[in-house]
Amino acid sequence: MLVITCPYCQEAREEEEFSYAGEAYIARPAVPEEADDATWGDYVFHRKNPRGWHWEQWQHVAGCRKVFAVKRHTVTYEIAGSWTLADGKALYLKEQA
Amino acid sequence: MPKQGFQPFMESPLHHFKLDAEAQPRRADGRIWCNELPHLGYAVLRGDTAEAGFAQLVEQVTGLALPLKAGAVSQGPQGVLMWTSPDEWLLVSHRQRLADWTAQLDAGFAAQQLFAQTVDSSGGLTLAWLGGTQHITVLRHLGVYDFESIPLGHMVSTVLGKATVQVIRLDGDGVFVLFRRSFADYVWRLLRRAAQPYGFAVCQLEARSDHPLFAQLAAPQPLLVSA
Amino acid sequence: MSGYRIHRPGERINRQKPVSFQFDNVQYKAFSGDTLASALLANGVRLIGRSFKYGRPRGIVGFGAEEPNALIQLETGAHTVPDLKATQVELYQGLLAGSTTGYPSLDFDLKGLLGKFGRFMPPGFYYKTFMEPVKAWPVYEKYIRKAAGYGHAPVLPDPESYDHLHHHIDVLVVGGGAAGLWAATLAGRAGLKTLLVDEQSEMGGWLLTERRSRIDGLSGMDWVNQRLAELASLPNVSVLPRTTAFALHDLNLVQAVELLQDHLPLTERNAALPRQRLHKIRAHQVILASGAIERPLVFGYNDVPGVMTAAAGHSYLNRYGVAVGREVLVQTQNDAAYEAALDLAQCGVKVMLADARQGGAAAWRQQALKSAGVELLLGHGIAKVLGDKSVSGAQLVKLDGRNNQVVGSGPRLSVDTVLSSGGLTSTVHLFCHNGGRPVWNQQQLSFVCPDEGRDNIACVGAITGRWELSEALGQTHAAVAALLLGHGRGSSGNAPSVASEEVAAPRAIFRLPDGKPEGHGAKAFVDYQNDVAAADIHTAIRENYRSIEHVKRYTALGFGTDQGKLSNINGFAIAAEALGKPIAEVGTTTYRPSYTPVTFGALAGPHVGETFDVRRYTAMHASHDARKAEYEVVGQWLRPWYFPKPGEDLHAAVNRECLATRNSVGVMDASTLGKIDVKGPDAREFLNRIYSNAWSKLDPGKCRYGLMLDENGMVMDDGVTACLADDHFHMTTTTGGAARVYSWLERWHQTEWPELKVRFTTTTDHWATVAVVGPNSRQVLQKLCTDIDFDKDAFKFMDGRSGTVAGLPARVFRISFSGELAYEINVDANYGRYMWEEVMKAGAAFNITPYGTETMHVLRAEKGFIIVGQDTDGSMSPNDLAMSWAVGMKKPFSFLGKRSLLRSHTAGEGRKQLVGLLPLDPKVVLAEGAQILSNTDDTVPAAMQGHVTSSYHSAFLGRSIAMAVLKDGSKREGDTVFVWAHGKSVPAQVVSSVFVDKEGVRQHA
Ligand SMILES: [Zn+2]
Repeated sequence: MLVITCPYCQEAREEEEFSYAGEAYIARPAVPEEADDATWGDYVFHRKNPRGWHWEQWQHVAGCRKVFAVKRHTVTYEIAGSWTLADGKALYLKEQA
Repeated sequence: MPKQGFQPFMESPLHHFKLDAEAQPRRADGRIWCNELPHLGYAVLRGDTAEAGFAQLVEQVTGLALPLKAGAVSQGPQGVLMWTSPDEWLLVSHRQRLADWTAQLDAGFAAQQLFAQTVDSSGGLTLAWLGGTQHITVLRHLGVYDFESIPLGHMVSTVLGKATVQVIRLDGDGVFVLFRRSFADYVWRLLRRAAQPYGFAVCQLEARSDHPLFAQLAAPQPLLVSA
Repeated sequence: MSGYRIHRPGERINRQKPVSFQFDNVQYKAFSGDTLASALLANGVRLIGRSFKYGRPRGIVGFGAEEPNALIQLETGAHTVPDLKATQVELYQGLLAGSTTGYPSLDFDLKGLLGKFGRFMPPGFYYKTFMEPVKAWPVYEKYIRKAAGYGHAPVLPDPESYDHLHHHIDVLVVGGGAAGLWAATLAGRAGLKTLLVDEQSEMGGWLLTERRSRIDGLSGMDWVNQRLAELASLPNVSVLPRTTAFALHDLNLVQAVELLQDHLPLTERNAALPRQRLHKIRAHQVILASGAIERPLVFGYNDVPGVMTAAAGHSYLNRYGVAVGREVLVQTQNDAAYEAALDLAQCGVKVMLADARQGGAAAWRQQALKSAGVELLLGHGIAKVLGDKSVSGAQLVKLDGRNNQVVGSGPRLSVDTVLSSGGLTSTVHLFCHNGGRPVWNQQQLSFVCPDEGRDNIACVGAITGRWELSEALGQTHAAVAALLLGHGRGSSGNAPSVASEEVAAPRAIFRLPDGKPEGHGAKAFVDYQNDVAAADIHTAIRENYRSIEHVKRYTALGFGTDQGKLSNINGFAIAAEALGKPIAEVGTTTYRPSYTPVTFGALAGPHVGETFDVRRYTAMHASHDARKAEYEVVGQWLRPWYFPKPGEDLHAAVNRECLATRNSVGVMDASTLGKIDVKGPDAREFLNRIYSNAWSKLDPGKCRYGLMLDENGMVMDDGVTACLADDHFHMTTTTGGAARVYSWLERWHQTEWPELKVRFTTTTDHWATVAVVGPNSRQVLQKLCTDIDFDKDAFKFMDGRSGTVAGLPARVFRISFSGELAYEINVDANYGRYMWEEVMKAGAAFNITPYGTETMHVLRAEKGFIIVGQDTDGSMSPNDLAMSWAVGMKKPFSFLGKRSLLRSHTAGEGRKQLVGLLPLDPKVVLAEGAQILSNTDDTVPAAMQGHVTSSYHSAFLGRSIAMAVLKDGSKREGDTVFVWAHGKSVPAQVVSSVFVDKEGVRQHA
């Protein structure tokens, strides 16, 4: 079981209190009708599923109900940190750049 | 006020356990002492702390400072106000007072055009008090949270067994466990089961006027007519 | 029959407390403090079981968790426990135990005959022999299982209870031997919250057996007691005996099971206390001090009862005052076994010691043995043990000094017991449970944990290959002191002082040669529990199983309840030799939890019986009980299913409930529907995005049915949402979808549209909801409420009103899931039961009829209303459900799922679509889930056209009806299809799924 720090409750809590909410920072096409089937299909179905560091969303369902970003290693389960979605996005974009 | 001819009665979420029938004065033995605080008033308070006037209005109406720190609980003789999320709090008080508060708050929010609201949850929640020297151990039997570490004057929202609960710790004497109506039967049975090794007893709860929660038991319930 | 009692100073049994017990229906006497194994040995009982494959007689080999043979069935009836190791069962007065193997009896085992033809049972025997015909396998299996034995699980409910306890601590120490005690002492002194667990009934580890060492000038056990007294005085330290740490998970989550009452007679157990407790321990730092286990050597007929490990013979003597034999041969390749030989000899046992090493042990040890009258046979090994059901002697051979070969014959000794020591195996299991790998130590001949441990896991004592007490304590001290320093805790003082002794290196020998090619001499067992012999490992490798993981699976080496504690290293070494590789390269198999077996009871803990799962109840439950409702579980809710009158079955009750509702008035508890308060200036915009239909023009006081799609365009939930004010909505969801939808709203709001000013609060539990349904419902409401105008034009279908009902503030919605005139009354749930009873009183004049979920299902199916999750399965679009009317394609914002509705696949032909079915025979109710075929004579494999999703008898229509999903169903009205179930195909006509009141006259009445 993971131990995840909720950036809102500001405390490390057991995984049992959270629910996984998928890959983080998937961009919904701004005008879906203008996206072709392949682009839209990519957005709906395709996920990175990396071996290594992964930006993902967790929701503190048994606590504050907030969704936040976690950077987790999919092999070692190491968690590099957790951030509010906004704070995490800045870091995420920096990494992608 | 009840309409002529109708005699409404309330039943708390733990009503069917008939706890008052087995309640006894609390003794200083090793047992776990427990009972429900039925029919309190609960309201979810939503608002934005960045909006000028929100915190002031809340404090002005309730006399309780808006807690801004995660898990913090504001207490006064008229009730408690607990942080549950950065834009969400829970108000607990006497039913009638709570109804007055929420009416004033909502009117104030509207007047000041604040993005804030109250949501009455009085029918959906209840509180149980759990005391005795081993009361924290009982929680440790049921949940993964490090209950020993809850500072006095704080609450934590976590999982007991398979139910989400809030544990409110105001003093070292015991804790208040807050849970939803539909889960009440399960949570009570779970607490009773976990307490069994230490002995489990239902205690009479006194309306202590100086206590932020026990005080709310004092006044008669306006609509309560015995069933 | 050779075991007997000997008084030993410091023995752990209490001679003042004799106890009697029964094994295989024979009464025996022993003492409090005995294990079942020591008690049986003291009574001269050697034959404990029969082996798995060959039915060979087997006896006790070890003295703890490593025991492979002595699996017993404890107690009877509801209290019976299968496959406990006799070596771990603490004796109590009146204990009942029996053997678990031996068919038809322990003394005469049919498989014993097979054993005589052992070479016809190579590894993979069962796979190879019983493969064909496949149909006969269950028959083979039944007899093989019966013959193989092992215990039987209890068939009665467990009368005992179990619980869990969570810990959040600084330091967990696993193992209460010298190293663990010292580690806990240091951590405790440093003020850290420390927990020490040990699987045995008392702390001390090997010091309970080994009595010569002095620590800080004290005897071993005096030092142990000093440690325990100090630990007891520290409020930050807890010590748990009888507690086995059986699993180590990520981030130092350790699970340990504590046997609280297993050591007590059944009649003395406290019913208020659990039998066992599962501890779930999160520790910042884990210190593994789990020690080492002595492994036997592998030699011919090393499984004859009376062959044990030297450590076992030593422990039975010093701990339990039991000499395991009168004439004992000790076979070793290391110095440690000399200690057992010495103690036995000093007790008057005739002891001979064969050492595979030419030079033997350190000189001082050899001298000590000679002085005690022990005959030493250096450079000798056992070729085979003599005897059938008990050891009667041993044939020795002379060994080459360098190669593991026989160079000459040795004496044939007449002994009744053989103790062997192949060296120690570090107990590395926990270290490896979550990916840690042990390293091979060629000096100590064991896989050991690295000295440096790993992140937040320290390894101390014998687990690192430190067999000598002085070294073990020195390394423990250094490791723990460094760890404490890392935690900012100061000096730890000095390590305990223990004199170091000269030790001769062990010999790297695992399988004692007998001078014959492998497979031709006496069977030499590696894994007793799975009957894996040295020759089997050679065979596996000859058959090209090269990886040790494959060898394990082919031979079954290391499977079983002992998890290979005695056999693994011997097996790896033999495989290495056969492969011509160093052991380090062969490596180990994977260590997985559990270290020792754990009861299901302990794992389940409090989650059994009435607290097995959450049961949610509505506020009106007592009313339903009073009216004798039958219930069904929906999600976690317990909902009334139907309300039978005396003598009625489900169908009779449902027919009555349906007719009463359609003809007069029915009442249903609808409190379980999910309810979410949605409020904020952008609430309407949010609803536009989250629902497929439009919300911009819904006025306050109006309700609308909403359809929620996922981004793939498929229906995920539905419900009616009421507009309370321009910025305020009362949303309802399906009962099962409440939590999912609440989460769904939060996620989209927080992740995608945080700029929208809207908030969601669950009110499911706050509102109790009474649905009053049927043509007379208006009159019922009018009796209860005077401040709402119920006139059909004033309070229309899909309107909502706030008012006073039965004296209480209430929200009333005129909505219908039945097609009838209907109202839903919502009140504070504390008044839920009151409101239900008031409705019943007000409806009495109309014979108001309470109904449950079954009638609700029939009524809605008659109208063709879907139930998400029953008529849909996550692959149904609104179009597939003929609900395009609930999709606002012209809404400005591209609502969730909209774009997917345009994908070629979603918009294409050949999709399954919702239809109604009328069986040609109106008395036939189609089976739900039945497949639909196009032709009656379709042969296997037939093309599946769809399936039946809902099917009922409609009392109102006097015939059966069904809903189904059918390929291109929207275009197939009038077709006849064939519904196949239970070997029959039933013809049915495709029709509209609205069976009753197609024009909607009734609900608008
Ligand atoms: Zn949180």
